[in-house]
Amino acid sequence: MNRSKVLLGAGRYLLVGLASAIAMVPVVWMGTMAFKPREEWTSGIDQLSWLPKDPTFDNFIFIFTGHAPKLLVAIDRVAVGPAISSLVCATLGTIIAVVVGTLAAYGVSRFKVGQNLPLSILQLRLFPPLAVMIPVMIMWAYLNLIDTWWGLSLIYGIVTLPFAFWLMMTFFDDVPREIEEAALVEGCTPWVVFWRVTLPMVRAPLATTILFVFILNWSDYAIALLLTRKDWNTIPVFMNALSTAMTGQMYGAKAALGLIAAIPPVALGILIQKYLVRGLTFGALKQ
Amino acid sequence: MNAVITERQVEPVPTAAHSTNNLAAQGRRVGTWMIVPAQLLLLFIVVFPLLMQIYISLTYWGPTDGVSWIYAYRSLNLFGNYVTFFSDGALWAAIARTLLIMAVAVPLEFVLGLGLATLFVDTFPGRRIFYSILLTPMMVVPAVAGYMFYMLFQSNGPVNQILSFLTNSNVQLVWLSVPHLALIAVIAADVWQWTPLVFLILLAGILAVPEDQLKAATMLGANWPQRFRRIVLPRMRTVITIVIILRLVESFKLFDVMFVMTRGGPGTATETISLYIYKQTFNELEWSYVAAIGLTLLVILSVLAVFGMRFMKHEIEVEKAMGLETVGGKTA
Repeated sequence: MNRSKVLLGAGRYLLVGLASAIAMVPVVWMGTMAFKPREEWTSGIDQLSWLPKDPTFDNFIFIFTGHAPKLLVAIDRVAVGPAISSLVCATLGTIIAVVVGTLAAYGVSRFKVGQNLPLSILQLRLFPPLAVMIPVMIMWAYLNLIDTWWGLSLIYGIVTLPFAFWLMMTFFDDVPREIEEAALVEGCTPWVVFWRVTLPMVRAPLATTILFVFILNWSDYAIALLLTRKDWNTIPVFMNALSTAMTGQMYGAKAALGLIAAIPPVALGILIQKYLVRGLTFGALKQ
Repeated sequence: MNAVITERQVEPVPTAAHSTNNLAAQGRRVGTWMIVPAQLLLLFIVVFPLLMQIYISLTYWGPTDGVSWIYAYRSLNLFGNYVTFFSDGALWAAIARTLLIMAVAVPLEFVLGLGLATLFVDTFPGRRIFYSILLTPMMVVPAVAGYMFYMLFQSNGPVNQILSFLTNSNVQLVWLSVPHLALIAVIAADVWQWTPLVFLILLAGILAVPEDQLKAATMLGANWPQRFRRIVLPRMRTVITIVIILRLVESFKLFDVMFVMTRGGPGTATETISLYIYKQTFNELEWSYVAAIGLTLLVILSVLAVFGMRFMKHEIEVEKAMGLETVGGKTA
């Protein structure tokens, strides 16, 4: 009995450890690649090293300044613009989605207005973005929104609206109504109740929603690929610029950029772990 | 928008200050205002573009025609694009390829996710850390994940190194240049990234199974496989349905990882429907054709969604009925 328990425990650690190793291998390989000097980017399979033998910050210096002493080539576009673009557009998109989504969620959850709104918003997530982008690209061109921060922020706000709306709706549904009703009877207007009573009660869920939507916006690739040209390329789209005929495949530089793109969502994701299930299933499962 | 107008018309004129009737009416009015921004955004991004997509799909218009899309009717061809659609072998191949990737990746993710979830049911030292590590892949930006796997699957990359080490021979596979190997590589990337999501949601489902029922079953002598099959699985119907639908919908959209790893290559070996559409949009500039493809997909997916919703409703009702039955059984 006892022996089988020990065996079971060991088996569990073996399997969990193996899965964790597989989960980390790609991340570690890119993470170490970011600190490898050019000579170590590619090498024969027998000399392949998992840790940089001669760690360097050259790759990071290169992507932000356009040249680094040992990297031989130079690029005229650096990662500063794309980093700003990713940050600005993901943030503004998050604000649009969360403000519009929270208001609508409160309206639907409390006042039972717009009964078919939830499903019409959900359908925004159903279709492959590329299948419905033709009219959007034409509209964006017509309105001069292509390759602008406001154009990209607007579309980000729209595509992540379903997550913000559904998440906040389930959070509002969880809040007991007695306090709000008492405030209403006391003579507060519904707006004041919403602003002064309800919102403070859902502060933590609201923060979760904001982080969740930000991660989604930050992770986008396809939309920025279609709706930006050069000035407002986001980090993932800018990665393409690091493998041209001129420079060759800049493994280390790309890895450094990838690392910068990967860190915010991974770090923020740990913060909102508790609510991930709810977020990913549009509030259908509350964990 | 229609709903907004009618609601505002039937609303009674406020009279007494604190009657509940008045409060409800006031609430409805405020609520109506609250959903206006969302409805305007939907109008902007659904209604108008949809009409535009229908219009353009009935023409031969392309962005290099030199005329604004408004005048697309000059090259009107009615259902020409839809006829092309059915005889376009490359498109059907891309759809079949997408379905194939889905058919391999989603069950794999499900089995691996379920297996991992069962390992995490009870506590053990280090559980939280392993949990966080296992969730990391799904947090990585998909395009970056694509680049990670692009590096791993280089012919002189770590995958070949590990395989060489395990088989004790010199493995030199050129993963991304051989069609079926490239397909394996992109599926590996998808499974790596999304198994954590399945694991996360299924684990939440397992942990939600009432503990007293499991304890009762244990006392009656049921071992873990029996408890799992008889108690846990039936209670997870909704969770399993949700996770599978979620993965099917998302994997049908598959684009970022392929675009970064292989650009659909070698040849068209990893060209999914989204990549095919991308190439038609930017290489061939066949925008009216793309509009027709998109619209057809839209109709098919909407029909599937309606059926999916019905199915979900049915599942939830079944689950509710089961819950009542067990409660009844307990009191009896």
